[in-house]
This record gives sequence, C-alpha cells and structure tokens, in this order.
Amino acid sequence: MSVLLVTGAAGGLGRALVERFTADGWLVAASARRDGEFAADAGDSGAIATVVGRVVERFGRLDLVVANAAELRLAHVEQHPLEDWWAIVRTNLSGPFYLARAAAPHLAEAWGAIVFVSSEWGITGWPLASAYAASKAGLIGLTKALARELAPRVRVNAIAPGVIDSPQLSVDAAAAGIGLDEMKRRYAETAPLGRIATPAEIAATVAFLASPEAGYFTGQVLQPNGGTTMA
Amino acid sequence: MTIVGRAGAEARPPVALVTGASSGIGRATAEAFAAAGYRVAVNHRGSAAAAAALARTVGGRAYRADVADAGAVAAMVATVEGELGPIAVAVCNAGFYEEQPLAEVSDARWERMLRVHLGGCFHVARAVVPRMRARGEGSIVTVASELALVGGVGVAPYVAAKAAVIGLSRALARELAPLIRVNVVVPGPVDTPLLPDRDKTPAYARTVPLGRIGTPREIAAAIVHIAESRWTTGQVYSPNGGLVIQ
Repeated sequence: MSVLLVTGAAGGLGRALVERFTADGWLVAASARRDGEFAADAGDSGAIATVVGRVVERFGRLDLVVANAAELRLAHVEQHPLEDWWAIVRTNLSGPFYLARAAAPHLAEAWGAIVFVSSEWGITGWPLASAYAASKAGLIGLTKALARELAPRVRVNAIAPGVIDSPQLSVDAAAAGIGLDEMKRRYAETAPLGRIATPAEIAATVAFLASPEAGYFTGQVLQPNGGTTMA
Repeated sequence: MTIVGRAGAEARPPVALVTGASSGIGRATAEAFAAAGYRVAVNHRGSAAAAAALARTVGGRAYRADVADAGAVAAMVATVEGELGPIAVAVCNAGFYEEQPLAEVSDARWERMLRVHLGGCFHVARAVVPRMRARGEGSIVTVASELALVGGVGVAPYVAAKAAVIGLSRALARELAPLIRVNVVVPGPVDTPLLPDRDKTPAYARTVPLGRIGTPREIAAAIVHIAESRWTTGQVYSPNGGLVIQ
C-alpha cells in the first residue's frame, strides 16, 4: 500500500484529502497541530522531521507528502505585527521546505511525489495578504527548484486553488463584517464558473497529481480556480 | 526624462534609496538614478569604503543597515528622509547567492535566505509605505531572479525566496494602489560578483538567445524605467537575454 503524509489535516481541504486518499486505498498519516500520533507544528523543523521519521517507522515507506498546512491573516503591510508576519511565512513556506527536506530521501526510495498546496493569491497577489501571498508564491518557486533537483525519482508539483468552501470563510466573513453567505457570494462572483470550490474537487486535483496518470508532470502548478486566472 | 516625485517649487531633487548598492546591480542602479537626477541613498551592509566612494561619485550618501533587520531598516529610512528628503523610489536589491544540495541546507541558511531577500523587501516596504502614503505617491521596485521563474538545481532556498519576492510585490501592488506602485525586475544572468564563474564563459553565453550575459547597467536601466512608469504596477520585467520566454 502507498503511504501519504499530509499536514494541516484538520482543516477543510485537509479533511477532504484524508477522505479521498483513504477511499483510494492509501495509508494516510494525517498530521495536524494538535492531537494524534503525527501531531506537529507544521512550521517547526524538528517536529516535522520527527513526524516523517515516525511515519516511515510505522508504515515502512513514504510515497507522497502533501504540504497543506497554512495560516492566513489579513492586515495592512505597515501595521502587520512583525512576529505575526514571519509566523505566517514560517508555517506556509518554511514548514513545507522542512517537510520536503526530511521526506526527500524516503520519497526517492519509493519513486514518490510531493504536492505543495499554494494558492491563487500566490500567483495574483491580494490586498492585505502580503505574508500569505509571498509565502504561497515562494512555494511555487520551491516547487520548480525541487522538481529539478529531485528528478527523476521524485516528482514535485503544486496546486494553486481558488477559494474553497472551508471554515476559513467564516474567518474571512467576520473580518469583513459580513455574513457567511454574503462572503461566499462575493468570492463566487469573481470566478467565471460562478461558484467557489468544494474541498473534494481540490482533493481530486491532488489525487490526480499523485497518480501514475500524472507520471509526466513535474515542476507544474495546476490551478483549479473556476477560471479566475488564465495564465 | 520623467522624475518621480513632487514638482516642488524648491526644485529639490527626488530621492532614490537603493539597498545592496555597494556592488553589482545595486551599484549600477545607484549610478543610473543619479544620472536621472535623483539623490541616491546608497545602502550597504559592511562595504563602507566602496559605498562611501560610490556615494561621493553619485552625489548621494552611504547608509549602513542589514536589510534582514527590520529595526535597522526603519532607522535607516528615517535617517535618509531626514538628511536627503522624502524617498520617491525605493529599490529592494540587496541579496546574495549560494548553492547547496537540499539535504545540506541548514535551518539557519534557509532562514537567512528568506530574511535577506523576502525580509529585505518587506522591511523596506514597511518603513517607506506610511511615509509614501502620507505624501500621496511613491514607487517601489523589487529585484528577483529568472531562477524564481524556472527553478534550478541546488538553489531551492534562493529560488523560493526570490519567488516569494514576486508574490509579495504583486500583493503590495494591489494593496497600495493607487498611491504607491510596486513592480519587480527579474534579471537573467548578469556580470556581477554574484554570478558563478561557470556562467561567465563563452560556452554559457551561447546558451542565451541574445548570445551574452547581461550588464549591470542594462538591469539598472530597466529598474529606473519601471520605477518611473506611472501606469505600471504589479508587473514583472525580465531583462534576461531571452533566456526565459514565457
């Protein structure tokens, strides 16, 4: 059986990833900040390395890591508390780097793959999201560098999804001072397809990248975003 | 030539702050802004003699600060504005290059790479944005690298940091419009001390569609141009000899 380690497993997309890969017959090591055998702060280099070691010890191999854990807080660039800004970069960009570094030898052994979960905002930028957009754009660079460095044994790709129907939307709505439905409507109308994404369909994009059908994909960024960006 | 900055009756020249200006692209950029009529704040981290000599040549002043240090950058920006006047253009150029296999990159090297490149731009933006906002205008130019667009072997931290600079610049372009413009220059291989020797050979030059590596002056010209292009924000200019065409 193939083994997946996914971070941010308690979030909206994280839960969908766990469900999808479990249904597809994978052994899933679900890592979240709290609780469970594989709990870790996704930005903590030592904790991440420990979790990778534990997964390999427990399941004997590692075929896929999905770096999905992320933080998002909106603030004006000059008012964003410094520590807070760097904490977002730590979780969203340094954490995935530490994860890839720890997992790479095991993935190479298994001819495995890495999928980094970036974001549409990492491609387009977004007001008040300087730390988030920078870190998600950095992930796209990391994808391309590691795709070259770890080829041919490890394929490295990213997804840059549009807005997903997830608990984060309630946070966004509260920050904007509007209701959840209004928040969803506003996001939906920015996409030609006229709606936001379901977690399951984004998980399906990751499942595709992980599958043998995507065996010739590396260094690529897939953008399930309802058509918001077309480049 | 267009001058970004206020057309004040006192005809005080506008000020350009260039980080990492003691050598390479930064040095050429300081010279180019001086030639375009700016007073230049020449930032450096430790190359005091080179920075002072350049400042004398271009009629500006040298300022020491590590761009990875937010407090040092904020203090520098305050000093520059006190001594030279309002900063019309800030160029976030300071950087370094290193190659290491993934397995050998220590946490400290990864962190330093992010702090200097991404942090260098973030810290400068943080310091100049409230001042530019209060004045109703300003222009920020960040310097990334073609490697951010195409990746490379043994350079994951550098590529990630430079790609993050592009993302930061796009986010800030949206956030700070219409008062402050933010753009990125993404140079290809340029004849500077940072370029590995293997990329300074005729054999390498033949791999570049335009047949040679770039000069610092050519990158500086792109930086001055984009800094002064008043209907341009959130854009990426790629003077790279055609090495990346996408």
